[in-house]
Amino acid sequence: MNRFAIRCAAGLSVPFLLVACSSAPSSPADSSSGGQVTITVGDRPTSSDPANRAQYDQKVADFEKANPDIKLNPVETLWDPTTFQAQAAGGQLPDVLNVPFTEPQGMIARKQVADLTKVLKDDGLLSELNPNVLKIAQDQSGNVYAVPTAAYSVGLVYNRNLFTKAGLDPNKPPATWDEVRADAKAIAQKTGQAGYAQMTTNNTGGWMFTTQTYAFGGSIENADGSQAAFDDAPSKAALQALHEMKWVDKSMGQAVLYDIDGISKAFSAGKIGMYMSAPDAYRTLVNVNGLKASSFGIGPMPQQGGDHGTLSGGSVQIVSPSATDAEKAAAVKWIKFSYLNKYVDQSAAVTSAKNGVAGKLPVGVPGLPVIAADQWSTYQNWIKPYVNVPLDNFAPYTKVAADQKIIPEPPVKAQEVYAALDPVVQTVLGNQKADIPALLTKAAGTVNAKLGR
Amino acid sequence: MLFALPVLLVFVVFSWGPILKGLVMSFQQTNLIDPVKWVGLENFRYVLTDPGVGQAALNTVWFTLLALLFGFPVPVLLAMFLSELRGRSWLYPTLAYLPVITPPVVAILLWRFFYDPSPSGMFNSILGSVGLGPFLWLDSPHSAMPSIVLEATWAGAGNAVIIYLAALTSVRADLYEAAELDGAGVVRRVWHVMLPHLRGVLLLMLLLQVIGTMQLFTEPLLFTGGGPQGSTMTILLLIYNYAFVNGDYGAATALSVLLALVLAVVSAVFQLATRGWSTE
Repeated sequence: MNRFAIRCAAGLSVPFLLVACSSAPSSPADSSSGGQVTITVGDRPTSSDPANRAQYDQKVADFEKANPDIKLNPVETLWDPTTFQAQAAGGQLPDVLNVPFTEPQGMIARKQVADLTKVLKDDGLLSELNPNVLKIAQDQSGNVYAVPTAAYSVGLVYNRNLFTKAGLDPNKPPATWDEVRADAKAIAQKTGQAGYAQMTTNNTGGWMFTTQTYAFGGSIENADGSQAAFDDAPSKAALQALHEMKWVDKSMGQAVLYDIDGISKAFSAGKIGMYMSAPDAYRTLVNVNGLKASSFGIGPMPQQGGDHGTLSGGSVQIVSPSATDAEKAAAVKWIKFSYLNKYVDQSAAVTSAKNGVAGKLPVGVPGLPVIAADQWSTYQNWIKPYVNVPLDNFAPYTKVAADQKIIPEPPVKAQEVYAALDPVVQTVLGNQKADIPALLTKAAGTVNAKLGR
Repeated sequence: MLFALPVLLVFVVFSWGPILKGLVMSFQQTNLIDPVKWVGLENFRYVLTDPGVGQAALNTVWFTLLALLFGFPVPVLLAMFLSELRGRSWLYPTLAYLPVITPPVVAILLWRFFYDPSPSGMFNSILGSVGLGPFLWLDSPHSAMPSIVLEATWAGAGNAVIIYLAALTSVRADLYEAAELDGAGVVRRVWHVMLPHLRGVLLLMLLLQVIGTMQLFTEPLLFTGGGPQGSTMTILLLIYNYAFVNGDYGAATALSVLLALVLAVVSAVFQLATRGWSTE
């Protein structure tokens, strides 16, 4: 019964893992002597992806040539929720790492990221970044802990092919949740597939419920993050809409448990008509899971009872908390060179777009500007000849998204709050007799206990 | 003593040290970067008042019971059946052992595909052809845990079968012959010859299974993430979430310490209760 023995070992090793993490932070690869600074930079593509790895390595070489006083040590470390805590605690984080929008607030609270306010000011980069998007990387006193390099707002991804089969107009995705319900019902009745689905597991349930609550005009925490704020009418209406689609219209299929991977696969297989996601889902759906590009459609986040807004998504670059000032400055230079130069320099934009096409990555996926808006549109013009995604399919999103209000994640312990909300969404979708007000009151109690800790 | 030193050092550094350190951390609040803060019993108070812990404890006990009820007898019966087969004696244990060779993650992802709750899902299609279902499997809080037990039994039975078969080969052939000469059928041979010989191994495996199943982790993590409605959230998955999702190491170690205590008590009670049973 080795499996059980392995489990025993795994259980007993939890404290061990924690201890393994608790050695004093040190990063031997990082040093600065005689004016030369060495930093480790993450996200190098693995050798199973030779084209993108070669491009990455070329970028490293170009950077070192342009900055002879900085030496880069590229590593394949990617952000991974299961290893990040251990790496942060053990001082093993690369100096620069790409992480998703859901993470910086928790990292700031746990002091796992470096404060970049001063270096960003000295560099001048701070004034160039889009202040709306930058909020995701700031604490409550305005200090900046990360650099946003790609930003999206959550919208509604839909299958254009299923829309057509259901007799709906594929160029006109639903704009309100009442329309979502009507379209989902039509898809389910005409095609037999789930008209609408929503993520529910591994904190994605709470994450997407938050987005939906925002679209119904509600909020998750109060302004200073000390109290749960979702035990109110907008959240109830959001859950009621789900309940009716699932149990009255029967337009949400049988499956209740979806995480990002599961819902992407089911959507790409043509089993789902619509789900909430950001435009960057295009890569996962089309390039990874084989959805036909012509079937991909995205509209803005449907709103209910007014224009309330939606949640943002994307990626930021963080810097290791153990980095020295010189290493921080070098890290910011690399972030600018690697991720942001293309927005301000035409030849960098063209090279990056050409590389994307060669590496079979989607080029030109619309998103929110991480830099000032006029510069952003200049950049879009530069890369126009290389765009390899069907921009028309993004048109319903792009027409509205720029003006839709962006609401950041709940300010305190967002992941723990999401975890407490997962079962709420699962119950509404799994139990016809779910008592929505009681579920929200109970979850609010759980969340308040967590916020008070 | 000198020769034992390397082994001793390895144990101190990699086993006993971390266990002690874990115990110490359960009284601290730390992000592993800033200086630690001693908080007394606060972490224990927090985990014991977390409504998730109560449910996770019940779920864990529920899995342990289900696994004992269904998962424990299957390999015993399988081993007895296999030991009765004559000829090709290598083939059947090999077949029984095959699932163990499949990496757990691969097996779980495959089973997740089998458990597709739509009528076109694999298990539902098969059962549908004889007029059963469709069943929700992992997507219903009532059937999620039994579904996990089914997969865990399939995945774990091979190991136990090998151990029981090894124990059965030590039974002297003349005992079977004597039993057969005395007119004993299969049932009486199992009852009077096989089971008494397996008693010691059975008790040990029972204890290992209880300890192992109370630390259920991989299956709920990959199958359900603890859902639906928290019905497969186990203590170990909760410890993992405390530590590696929330970064709350104090709560994670406090709950680990509590789990270790419970397991120690269970083991001690088991040893006392079964003292004398394992010898003939």
